[in-house]
Amino acid sequence: MMLRVLGTIFMSLAAVVVALPIVIVCSAALNGGRTMFFPPQDSTLARFGEFFISEPVWTRALTNSVIVALGAATLSVLLAWPIAYRLWKTGSRASALLATFGSIPFAVPPIVFGVGLGFFWSFLGGLGTIPAGIISHAVLFLALPLVTISIGLQAIDRAHLDAAATMGATEAVTFRTIVLPQTLPYTISGFFFALVLSFNEFIVMFFVSASAFATVTLQIFNSLRNGYTPTMAVAAVAFITVSIVVFSAIARWGDLPRLMGADQSRT
Amino acid sequence: MTVAHDLAFGPTGPTRATELPTGVSAGRVGRAVQGVLWAVVLAFCLVPLILVVVISFGHKVEGAGWEWALTLENYQRFIVGANWPAESTSLYLGQLYWSMRYAVVASLLAVVTALPFTYLMTRQSRRAQAVWLVFLLATLSLSEVFIVMGWDIILSNNSGLPMLFAASGLTDWLKETGWFDVLRDWGLANPRNVKFKPSEVATVLTLSYLVWPYAVILLYPALSRLDPSLAEAARTMGARPWTVARTVILPSVRLPLIGTTLLLFVFLLGAYVAITVFADPSQHTTAVSVYEHVRGSTLNAPFGAAQSVILLITATAFLVIGQRLTRKSPGAQ
Repeated sequence: MMLRVLGTIFMSLAAVVVALPIVIVCSAALNGGRTMFFPPQDSTLARFGEFFISEPVWTRALTNSVIVALGAATLSVLLAWPIAYRLWKTGSRASALLATFGSIPFAVPPIVFGVGLGFFWSFLGGLGTIPAGIISHAVLFLALPLVTISIGLQAIDRAHLDAAATMGATEAVTFRTIVLPQTLPYTISGFFFALVLSFNEFIVMFFVSASAFATVTLQIFNSLRNGYTPTMAVAAVAFITVSIVVFSAIARWGDLPRLMGADQSRT
Repeated sequence: MTVAHDLAFGPTGPTRATELPTGVSAGRVGRAVQGVLWAVVLAFCLVPLILVVVISFGHKVEGAGWEWALTLENYQRFIVGANWPAESTSLYLGQLYWSMRYAVVASLLAVVTALPFTYLMTRQSRRAQAVWLVFLLATLSLSEVFIVMGWDIILSNNSGLPMLFAASGLTDWLKETGWFDVLRDWGLANPRNVKFKPSEVATVLTLSYLVWPYAVILLYPALSRLDPSLAEAARTMGARPWTVARTVILPSVRLPLIGTTLLLFVFLLGAYVAITVFADPSQHTTAVSVYEHVRGSTLNAPFGAAQSVILLITATAFLVIGQRLTRKSPGAQ
């Protein structure tokens, strides 16, 4: 009993500490003046207008962020699908190696991969262009759809495949009628994981953009030297909202505990 | 770093596709697709890293960037400084030391606090777990710049905690009881009030905060698969909760525990924003130096590349040591 109380206290404390800096940043968005105060002074929603509509620096950065995140997530899912599918289909050593190579960018410290991509794009001539940014993020986050799609493929009921094979379905038909529909939630989850992380990524994009364009996180980092402004806090509010909406959607329509590797036997 | 490492890619999964009938033409198309995939993955995933390694042997040209070369001068500079043997400096080794120190302390702190949390979380209902996961994933994905901003507001001297300390009289109380001098010795106070910026404590706390949700999510699979009946059995036989934790729970999650710590460590080696904001310039890390040499004021791409390679080697070394540790010990799963 005593232990249970202690446990609850610990959990609540952890939740408070995790939420604390986020709550503070978000509430600073309500400041009327140009400086960050906590608690906010003469609360206003004017900063939201600045961020989303009137301030070109921020609207441009937001547009870039959205383009890069959508492009990168789409591209990484398109690339991850054939890799994951071949791995599941053949289980060969070669396809496992390919999947491992595809996950390497995500596994090394991001600053190292960022430096490498900076060199890479300066040789190819794409440094500082948005397409280079999109491809870079797609590669960086390839591991995420790769993992979620692999989990999805492994979750397919074997009996369905056997039935299809017995009835003489071709690979294409099986793929269209069984594989694709059953793995759709996992594909979408992978897409959103990549989307959200790309949206928030900073260091790789810093090296790839070469200051030629800015995403929201880059813009915030560039403005850090001049101190914080409440408009930056609005960005934080927008970003945390996107994350919560996206992950809630995954939890609602996908199986979040399973994606995170929970035991399936207990519910 | 994340789930990718936790899932074995390859033919070990629970279900495998049965061999479906494939036509000859489909096989040829398949091979072509396979070739394209290999080309794309090699070009975009591996070539950038290979470039870093190759350029780390390059030579900086004064005022004109750098040129291809095969020299060890960048590595020599890292170890003994640029003007060796006339003079030697351990500046860069010192930065690597700080990289490792921050990463080790912060990852251990994160794992030690995340373990009981994750354990308690997995005992909750599936629905509650999903809510927690959404919350954690949202904070995990939130950009480093926002998190640093939040902690900066909390810890900076003109607002947040130091102001709260002064206003609530806690500062005076600390001065009376003598704790204030202790804090000053730790670098956590200036003559008038407590200060948390710059300080190692603030740096480690922020870094630890950054990876804490990762720690929970990496420990989650192992803990959620833990059979609750084991702990119950131990309890029934009269073991105290602490004994249960020590003899039943800890041994069964030992491997994921080590694995998680290592992954957080590797991730933190590359941390940048938190260090520049919270750490004293004399305690900056290799990652900060990489950034400055590649993009910052002291343009020297080959040296930046060499430092990146050293970061990679450090990360790999820790991973290998970790693997040795887990393999040698008896009773491993």
